[in-house]
Amino acid sequence: MYSNLEKTPRHLLVCEKSNFKNEKSRHGIHVENHYFNYRVSVLIPECGALPAGLSTIGSSFGKYYLVKNLPVYEIVEQQFLDLCVKKGSFYALSYNTRIDQDNSAALIPAGKLILSVDKDTYEELGLEGQQSQYSHKAVMRHIITIDLTDASFAPGTKKYKRVIWALKEKKPLACDFLMAWHPSGEGDFSLSSYFAKYQCKEHTPSVSTKILRDIPSPVISGGELKGKPEESCDSQEFLDWLGAASADIDCNNEASSFLSTYCCPEPSVVMGQACLWTVTGFLLPEKIYMLLEQLRHYFDEPKLAHWTTLTVHGFADSPVSWGVAEHGFHKGGENLYNFVIFRNHDYWLQMAVGTQDGCPP
Amino acid sequence: MALFGDLNIVNTTDKRKLKNVIETAAHLGYSTVAINHVVNLQEKKQEIGKPTCVAELFTSPPTVQGKSKPIKIITRLTVVVSEASHCNELRTTSPRTRLYDLVAVHPKTEKLFHTACMTLDVDIIEIIMTEKQQFHFKRPPVNVAIDRGIVFELVYSPAIKDSTMRRYTISNSLSLMNIGKGKNIIISSGAEKPLELRGPYDIANLGLLFGLSEGDAKAAISTNCRKALLHGETRKTAQGVVHTMKKTEVPEDKEEAPASKRARTDDP
Repeated sequence: MYSNLEKTPRHLLVCEKSNFKNEKSRHGIHVENHYFNYRVSVLIPECGALPAGLSTIGSSFGKYYLVKNLPVYEIVEQQFLDLCVKKGSFYALSYNTRIDQDNSAALIPAGKLILSVDKDTYEELGLEGQQSQYSHKAVMRHIITIDLTDASFAPGTKKYKRVIWALKEKKPLACDFLMAWHPSGEGDFSLSSYFAKYQCKEHTPSVSTKILRDIPSPVISGGELKGKPEESCDSQEFLDWLGAASADIDCNNEASSFLSTYCCPEPSVVMGQACLWTVTGFLLPEKIYMLLEQLRHYFDEPKLAHWTTLTVHGFADSPVSWGVAEHGFHKGGENLYNFVIFRNHDYWLQMAVGTQDGCPP
Repeated sequence: MALFGDLNIVNTTDKRKLKNVIETAAHLGYSTVAINHVVNLQEKKQEIGKPTCVAELFTSPPTVQGKSKPIKIITRLTVVVSEASHCNELRTTSPRTRLYDLVAVHPKTEKLFHTACMTLDVDIIEIIMTEKQQFHFKRPPVNVAIDRGIVFELVYSPAIKDSTMRRYTISNSLSLMNIGKGKNIIISSGAEKPLELRGPYDIANLGLLFGLSEGDAKAAISTNCRKALLHGETRKTAQGVVHTMKKTEVPEDKEEAPASKRARTDDP
């Protein structure tokens, strides 16, 4: 009876190591394919003040917009596609919708609209879609994917007319959207003026810096992903410690602490200070890639630190995690990745997902 | 999965307390709540009255946390039956039960449990949590109830109040799970105060203690609640296909009737 109490809901962690200078390194593709990013944090050990390069990138993270109660057909119409989607990378994600309860929508830069709808909406909408992979006994969720850049989706075709009819008249879907646009060339398109008739508000990502003092940190070596006993720690232990350090949890294993008896993995060394820098908002993969490149060049000058980390968290309620892989929320909706960058341009990449998620690429 | 719902919030005459409980439920993430009017026919002079008017309670219902829609409030009636004569109120043609969105029964004996599963026109069968179950569940009536679309309800607020009740709650739920295999179960609070409510994901974890699987436990607070709500709606319709709506009277009809009478009398 209680055998299922011993099992926790499953989660996956993929760890790989490579070198940035390696031609076959896929770090760029992994960053590019993780479309919806909520928080980026950088931890630099033995550093008392934020490096100048990071603060310039932090201020250049670009604005994003929150449009309230936008009907979904507005981002499918041909006019919008020509002006915006085809001329750069456009990202849109529904806001204030829970992926396991309501209808959610996302538009990815490949030009695909992904609608994750519940049973009643799917039956009323009338568009073709697949059952969710994470259905239990009764199918309660369907995923509808519409390729907006497809040749069969030109205005005037049957497919285009059907989609516009379904979203405009049959079952009008409207929700709040977070959106951002990265132009590929010269473009003077403004999202706020296009959506002026809906409540469109501009936001900038919020940045915060914290200096951590006297914290124990594990010793890791770039070549040993699994760690060597007595010499360096395992990558999984390192990720656990990084989560504890970012959340400001004491790693002392004090008997009096009710919150946590977590202790830093051995072998460890005490860091005098470390800089934890966090950006929160609707962040684009293009900017994250620039940040990653900047961090690579942090070790161009001699520094006390042996490694730095860049952690990126995705939205818990987004319909997709990497690429078009479906993402669900069982008891948690985490989908995050972490780069550990070493002095010799080696890196570790750890990708973690929760219960209702496919294996990261 | 469907929206989270808590289908048992006990009705009180203190409107402010009820409002507090519903606001807490919206803050915790429940999208639907049902105000439960409990009627114990064994006590004298107990009659099924009219449900509280939801519109009077809130001019604008509180928004559910994390979403932009307001919480949905419906009414529910629970009849505690300990004798066969009490079941008369729960027949299909009873006028008073029509006013409620959901109808539930709380049987106290094995024979009444059998009757409730087989014949009574209800949506929810509440399982006793406050005392040791006197009878064992049998497979045939439970299976018939599942086929008819009736859900079994487990209430968790007695478990919060007292440790003896906790033992009874877990043992009664486990015995139901043995027979019913976790189908058509809902878990609800039975809360009288805001502190007796718990969040939906916590209740899904509590379902694991009751013997449900991971998916079944989450369904107990979402999909099966939706099932009960739809069952309640179809009670007012014919087989769930046709439903009637009261049409407002059109004044022109009255003028036409005298005209046709005049036409008949004109014939010599």
